[in-house]
Amino acid sequence: MQIIISNSSKEPIYEQITNQIKSLILAGELKEGAALPSIRQLAKDLQISVITTKRAYEELEKAGFTYSIVGKGSFVAEQNLEVIREKKLRVIEEQLGAVITNSREIGLSLNQLQQLLKILYEE
Amino acid sequence: MEHVVELKNVTKKFKGFSLKPINLQVRRGFVTGFIGANGAGKSTTIKMMMNLLKPDAGKVKLFGLDYQTHERAIKERIGFVYDGNVFYEGLNLKDIKRIVGPAYKRWDDKVFYRYVEQFELPLNKAIKTFSKGMQMKASLAIALSHHAELIIMDEPTAGLDPIFRRELLDLLQEIMLDGSRTIFFSTHITTDLDRIADYIAFINNGEMMFNQSIHDIAENYQLVKGGVDLLDRDTEKAFVHIHRTSTGFQALTDNIEAVKKTFGDSVVMERASLEDMMYYMKGGKQHVQFN
Amino acid sequence: MFNLIRRDLILQKWQLLIFIPIIMFFIIMDKHPALIFLVASILIPFNAYAYDEKAETNILLNSLPYTRVEIIASRYLGAIVYMGLAIGVTCLALVTFNKPFTMSDMAIGGGLFLWFASFTFPLFYIFKSGYISTVVLIGFLILAGVGPSVFMFIAENLPVINDFIVSLSVPTLYTGVAVLTLIIYSVSWGVTTIIYQRKVF
Repeated sequence: MQIIISNSSKEPIYEQITNQIKSLILAGELKEGAALPSIRQLAKDLQISVITTKRAYEELEKAGFTYSIVGKGSFVAEQNLEVIREKKLRVIEEQLGAVITNSREIGLSLNQLQQLLKILYEE
Repeated sequence: MEHVVELKNVTKKFKGFSLKPINLQVRRGFVTGFIGANGAGKSTTIKMMMNLLKPDAGKVKLFGLDYQTHERAIKERIGFVYDGNVFYEGLNLKDIKRIVGPAYKRWDDKVFYRYVEQFELPLNKAIKTFSKGMQMKASLAIALSHHAELIIMDEPTAGLDPIFRRELLDLLQEIMLDGSRTIFFSTHITTDLDRIADYIAFINNGEMMFNQSIHDIAENYQLVKGGVDLLDRDTEKAFVHIHRTSTGFQALTDNIEAVKKTFGDSVVMERASLEDMMYYMKGGKQHVQFN
Repeated sequence: MFNLIRRDLILQKWQLLIFIPIIMFFIIMDKHPALIFLVASILIPFNAYAYDEKAETNILLNSLPYTRVEIIASRYLGAIVYMGLAIGVTCLALVTFNKPFTMSDMAIGGGLFLWFASFTFPLFYIFKSGYISTVVLIGFLILAGVGPSVFMFIAENLPVINDFIVSLSVPTLYTGVAVLTLIIYSVSWGVTTIIYQRKVF
């Protein structure tokens, strides 16, 4: 499991961990039932404090991405892909809404915006 | 038992220095960093934890036990590392082991020799010929060789070079792997703590300012920067301390919501480092002077 | 407790090598056997204080699983143990050199040591480290210089005490002195324990 932490990022370290593990789960790299490294092992490997990895795992569990068994550790939970897809779509809609608002502010036309999106998407 | 160390309303008076009633709890299974300026009361507090000093008033409990009735049982479970060398400096490590080892019921020669090998410590050279770093390693090897549950360290990194400090932090993280251990260590080099500490206890002028998890600290305190014209009697109330210059002000707040509400986007807010907090809290609350 | 007593041997293993020549020197100088027993008994316990007067040593001992009561007890019991050993070694040396000595020489040497220890041990915990060696040296000189004259003064001017002592039978006298010595040693032990428990490191 690859996780990269930036100490200078504004994003708190525990969030960097949760986000990266979430992506790994959504991308299917971490399969259902797979065991995550222990809280303490991960802290040592990432050279961060135990309480930080503990919090990251707690957030993952709260969001339903993992479950934990006392004395055994944390495991990847069964993911309902339909639900995740819908959630993601809603996020994309929101983000596009913001893009449209910004475009109108500077008078970017729909055509110009589509072109921009096309370039970026195919990059 | 969640707390390995518990100080309740502990006071101690010396000539020219006194500890205000101190409350401090050290959580099991975590690393607590104990910060404060030189002379703030760190060593005094640690000495009371070790029963080298008796408090004037208040209660000191380790593992839920009292020193009056369980001194031996308590110390059996503590590994200690002090700032200076406390071992007979004329003796070599082997002889020191022969003196210290039998004091502990759970002394483990195998563990000791493993650390001696890992730290590359000579067994037959007098301790006084060791460098500061080696003396620290020797203390640590002894502290870790009787299966102690609590490791108490007073300024273990003082006077050590950055590389060795890094190695020490790696080692401490290794020690924390099995979850049964608790580390309490004092330092005034706060960067040592960024990597390893779970909780930070901050003492200033004999007074405990806070003892919180690093997340609570990040959520409760922020550094605020902005123009001096934003400050007045009302708005400055949100700050612990304000530092004003001709280019603007910098301040520490413990009321992030209030600052956001009052100043909105007109100020820059960022994470406060432990050093920032030590600096801004040193003088306590101060108020802007109006001319 | 045994470990605390044994600690002195580990600490002083090199100094112990000087121990034999010192005894030999006294024997060759043809000093009184009682004095030799006294000097031999003093060496190890008092040399130990050269280590114990350091603050670091007290921090170390008190951070280990020992109580302050035990640390002091090891000093007082250790002194007796090492006195026994020293007397044994001295006996051997005297026999080797074919010097005559009696049981009462041993008793006087040992007894004097216990008296000296009773009065000086507490001092080690009252005075600040660094001054202790001086204090003990002066103490020893005073005891050696003034002690006999005080003794003579009492003998000459207080005939009541003198008569009383002379009137006692030898076994009663020995038993009396032995009991008195033990009482003083125990009181000293108790006082030192109280002093040590209040010490700050």
